[in-house]
Amino acid sequence: MAIDQELKIEMGKQGVVVTTLQELYNWGRKSSVWPMQFGLACCAIEMIATTMARYDLARFGAEVFRPSPRQADLMIISGTVTKKMAPQVVRLYNQMGEPRYVIAMGACAISGGPFKQGYNVLKGIDRYIPVDVHIPGCPPRPEALLQAFITLQNKIQAQPLTGPNRPRHLDAEAQGEFPVPVQGEHDLEPTSNPGVWTVPVVIR
Amino acid sequence: MKTIEEIQAAIEAAVPGGEVTIVMNPSPAAQHSLLVGAGKAVAVAKFLRDDAELALDFCSNVTGVDWLDREIAEKVKVTKTVTKTVDGVEQQVEETVEETVKRAVPGYLECVYHLYSVAKKHGPVVIRMRTANRSDMVELPSLTPIWRGAEFQEREVFDLYGIVFTGHPDLRRILMWDEFKDHPMRKDYVLPDDFEYEPTPHDDVLKRAEAHRADVAQEGAAQ
Amino acid sequence: MSFTYFPLVVLFAAALAFGLVPLSLAWTWARFFSPRKPNAVKNSIYECGLVSKGDAWVRFRSAYYLYAIIFLIFDVEAVFLMPFAVAFTGLSMAACAAMLVFVLLLVEGLAWAWAKGILTWA
Ligand code: SF4
Repeated sequence: MAIDQELKIEMGKQGVVVTTLQELYNWGRKSSVWPMQFGLACCAIEMIATTMARYDLARFGAEVFRPSPRQADLMIISGTVTKKMAPQVVRLYNQMGEPRYVIAMGACAISGGPFKQGYNVLKGIDRYIPVDVHIPGCPPRPEALLQAFITLQNKIQAQPLTGPNRPRHLDAEAQGEFPVPVQGEHDLEPTSNPGVWTVPVVIR
Repeated sequence: MKTIEEIQAAIEAAVPGGEVTIVMNPSPAAQHSLLVGAGKAVAVAKFLRDDAELALDFCSNVTGVDWLDREIAEKVKVTKTVTKTVDGVEQQVEETVEETVKRAVPGYLECVYHLYSVAKKHGPVVIRMRTANRSDMVELPSLTPIWRGAEFQEREVFDLYGIVFTGHPDLRRILMWDEFKDHPMRKDYVLPDDFEYEPTPHDDVLKRAEAHRADVAQEGAAQ
Repeated sequence: MSFTYFPLVVLFAAALAFGLVPLSLAWTWARFFSPRKPNAVKNSIYECGLVSKGDAWVRFRSAYYLYAIIFLIFDVEAVFLMPFAVAFTGLSMAACAAMLVFVLLLVEGLAWAWAKGILTWA
C-alpha cells in the first residue's frame, strides 16, 4: 500500500500523479462531508455563522446542509441536548447513512456545560453515540468549528481501508445501530450506552 | 393605582367571601401581594380583569413556589404567675416574660400571578393561591379562562411543581416528557444520579461522585 | 424500405442511454460498494427524529382535488395579471375592460365554488 513519499513528490514534479486506492477513497469521502441541518441551542447560531459568507464552510466540501438524515454524513451537535431531545438526536443519528461522523460542538454537547446540574440536561451526547471531534467553548467561535471540521477531515484521511482499525462502515461485523434511550419515569433509560461510553478515569 | 389595601377592600366589596388577605413583603421592594382563597379565585380574577379602575388585562407571569413543612419561631409575651421572694416574703407575682414559641407550618404549594394593566399602564398586582398540602390536595382553579396567556405558564407550573389546575383547557406536561413522574422544581426533588464522571466535583456533587468512585473500587476488588 | 428515420432511432437510443447509463452505473456502484448497515430504526419513516404515529398512507378527502384545481386556476391567472399590471399605464380602455371581464369570470367561478360549499373543509 505504502508509497514512498519522496518518490511520489518527485514523480509529481515530472507531471505524473500516483496515488493509492486508500488515499483516493478517503480524499473523496473527506471532501464531500455534508452536514445535517439541525441546531439545538445557542451554539447553532455560531454554526450558522460558519456556513455564511465570512467563514464559508463550503470551502471545505461541506457544501450543503441537508435537511434529511438520509442525505447527510455529518451530525453537528450544536448545543444543549436535553433529555427530552436526546432520543430524537440518537434516532436521527441512526437514520443517517454510513459512513457518518459526529462533531460535538460546545460545552453543552460535550458535558452538559453550564446546565450540567440541571434536571433535564444530558451530560454529554457521547453517552449515546460515538463522537469524532469535540470542540470546547461556550459557544465555540466559527474558527473553532472550522478547526474541528479540518480535524475530522484529517481523521478521515488517515483511516485505513483494511485491517483492525478500519472504520465502522467498512467492517461488515460492526454494528450500525445505537440503541435509542427511552424516556422513563425519572430519567432516560439506560442512562448511557456502555458500548459507546465508559466512565472516564480521572487523572489528577 | 390603588394601594394594596384599597384593592383588597374593592375585591371584598365586589366578591363576597373572597378570602383575600394581604401578604406583606418586608424587603425594600415592598411588593405586597394578595393571597386569594382557591374557592372564589376565578371570581376574584374576573373582577380584577373587568373592574373599570383596575383593568388588569395582562397576566405577565405565572410561577410556582414550593414551601416545605417548616417551623416558625415567634417571640410572644406571656403573662405568668410566678412565686418570688419579695422583701423576705414569698409572694405570687404576675410577670410578663418573652418566650419563643415554635409553630409548625405544614407545607404547601403556591402559585403566583403577576398582573398588569396595558389599558391603564399600571401594575404589577401580585396575587397568590395556595394548595392545602404538598402531596394529595394540590388542586387550584385555573385562571386561564380569565387570562388566556396563562395557559402555557400554568402547564409549566403543573409540570415542574405538580399543581393541578382545575378548569385548564389542556393540562399536559410542557417541558418534561409525558412519562415523567417527578416535579423537578420541588425542593425535595432528587436529581437522577448521573454524576459518575465529574472532572471538578464540589459540594453535593462531590459526595455523589465519591460514592460512585467507592462503587467502582468495590467492583474492581470483587473481580 | 426507407431508412429516412434511422438517424432518429439512433438519436433516441443515444438519448435513452444518456439517461440510463449513469443511473445504472450509480446503481451498480451502490450495489457493490455502498456500506450497508440497515436496521429497524434506520429503515423507519423519517419524522424529524420522532417515532411516526400511524401510517404514512393516509386518505385525503376528494374535496382536496377541487381545492387544488381552484388554486391552479388562480395561480395561472397571476401569470396573466403580471404583464397586465406592468403595461397598465399604456393600455387602452378596451384592454382594461377585457382584463376586468377575465377577472370577473374567475371571481364568478370562485363565488360559485364558495356557494357550493367546496371551500368549507371537513
Ligand atoms: S455551549 Fe454555551 S453557547 Fe453552546 S449551547 Fe451550550 S450554553 Fe449555548
